[in-house]
Parts: sequence; C-alpha cells; structure tokens
Amino acid sequence: MVPSSMKRFLALSLFSLACAGTFYAQGARPIDITASPQPIGDAGVMWYTTWDTAIEEAERSNRPIFFMAAAATCSGISGVF
Amino acid sequence: MFSEKKFIEASRDFVCVRLETFENKEHEALVRKLLNGRFANTSFCILSPDGEEQLTRSSRGPKTILGASGRGPSAEPGSLDDILAAMEELVEPYPLRGRPEELTLQDFHSFRQALNVASGDQRLLLFVAASPQDREKAKKVLKPVFANDEIIGRFHLDFGTAEADSDWSEKIAGTRSKSGYLIIQADEFGQKGKAVAQLPLTASGEEIAKALLSANESFAKTEVRKVYSEHVTEGRRENIFFENEIPYGEDRDGDGKADGRRYGKGRD
Repeated sequence: MVPSSMKRFLALSLFSLACAGTFYAQGARPIDITASPQPIGDAGVMWYTTWDTAIEEAERSNRPIFFMAAAATCSGISGVF
Repeated sequence: MFSEKKFIEASRDFVCVRLETFENKEHEALVRKLLNGRFANTSFCILSPDGEEQLTRSSRGPKTILGASGRGPSAEPGSLDDILAAMEELVEPYPLRGRPEELTLQDFHSFRQALNVASGDQRLLLFVAASPQDREKAKKVLKPVFANDEIIGRFHLDFGTAEADSDWSEKIAGTRSKSGYLIIQADEFGQKGKAVAQLPLTASGEEIAKALLSANESFAKTEVRKVYSEHVTEGRRENIFFENEIPYGEDRDGDGKADGRRYGKGRD
C-alpha cells in the first residue's frame, strides 16, 4: 500500500511535469505557484488576445509589441493563465 | 512580474499581446516563426510596431531576455529594475502616435476562449452581443471607455459573432436579452459564467464605464484569488477539459511533430 504522503508527492510531480512548459520559463515550478499577489479588481497588463487587433493597434500607436504566447490551461484544465 | 505595478505601468508603452498557444493554427504558426520552427507552450519576444522586426531574441519567457545577463541556460535573469530599464530602452526609438481614445479594442476569436481567459485572469468580461452593424456602433462608444485609465487592464472585452459564438447564451446564467453589453463573471473553470450586469446597446459610454466600475468593485470584494496548484488538482478531480484546435504538446526539436505525451480527456 502506498502511503498518502507518497501519493501526494507523486501527484504533485506529475502535475509539475504536465505544466512545466508554462512556468519553467518564468523561473518557478508549478507546484510552487500559489495565488497571484495582485488584488482582484486592480489594473493589470492590458492584453490583446488576437494577433490582428494587436498589430492594428501597434501600427496605429507606433508602439513596439510585447509578444507572448502561453496556454490558458494546465494539461487541458481551463481557468488558469 | 506581471503583477508588479511598475511593470504594469511600463507595459503601457507597448502593445501587449498574449495569445493562447494552442487556440488555432495561426497562433501555432506565429510561435513556430518566433522559435525557428520549434513549438513550445510559452514563447516571448519584443517586435517592432509593424510586427516585422524582432527587437529582442525570442525565448520562452521575458525574464531570460529583458535585463538578463548571458544567454541560454546559463543566463541570469535580471531584476525588475533591469527589466524596466531594458523596456525603456526598447521603446525609445518609437514615439507614440495617435490619440489614446482611438485605440483598437481587444477582441477574442471566440466567446468560449474569452470566458476561459477571464476566468484565468480573474477579471470581469464585457461581452458585446450585437448584429454586425450594431457592433461597429458599439466599438465607437467603447473606444473612449477602454482608453480610460480607470478601465485599462481591469477587464477583458469580447465582441460576439454569429459564426463563433452562436451558443454564448447557453453558457451564461442571468441574461435578460440576446443582445446588449453584458458584464460577465466567469466561473472557476471558465466554461460557464453569469451576467452580473446588462445594458442595452443604446447605453452611453459613461453608463457602461459606471456599470463596469461598479461591477468590478463588487467582484473585488467577493472573488478570491485562485491557488494554481489547488485549481488544477480540483480540475482533475472534476474531469475538466478544455479542447483547443491544436492538441496540447510541444515540438522542441522542430521536426513538425509533437514530442512525448499529449494531454486529452481520455487519460483519466
């Protein structure tokens, strides 16, 4: 029988592997990701979410493009970015 | 880094675009172009305003490029001040053009993705349900609203289309009409939501801004920040799955095929 602490460790390890692409780039492991420190409702980065709207705005305003692509899921589980 | 006030302020000098990597073939092609044929979960670079010139090399994240010392796996990430200094240097050759209230408005490829991203960011979503003709009128009304300092970066915005979003109302509780401006709170996994306020398409910019700020104030009081690891654990328990056009997986060697395991609903 596998102890529950071992099960938890294995689950976290698998989770870590599944989401690794997103977070290793930012320097943190997925199991270390907790909650964003930003208060809910506060202003954050204003993201464009299609290439067409971003390029249109960049050309209009002559601003360089801060480009990111990332998964808005973790191994298919939605509601995380 | 993205939640730091100084970084958020500096980001306003850029057009920040964050694409869902796996959303469609267009996004995959953009990522492959930036990563020299490879395909990764995350990618980053700074581009010139016409999108043609790379102003930085590309990588999987900004910290290893902006203000970093060295390159490759041995690169030392820069401090926030180093990152801000690098950003300031990058915008210097590009003087701002045009009036802020003429900005291009945010949009999504689909309401489904808008709901998912709003849930992930824990921001309210303003969804515009309108005919093509009314949509153009709504854009004129919304441009000055979304150029307002009180609104910028606090909400997501999506314009519904008949082709991509015919079933939007099935995902949302509390709707009174099939058209209008809907302020939507996405649920935990961003696959459903509720309308917390709804205004007719005849609403003025002032009325919309007031409704957004009021809804955001209530949202801030009641919504609790998600803990990423707990969210994913719960998602697994509930068998949550969000399907994109591109299957999840990376192609780190750039051979055009996904490496290793893919993720799908059949793995439970």
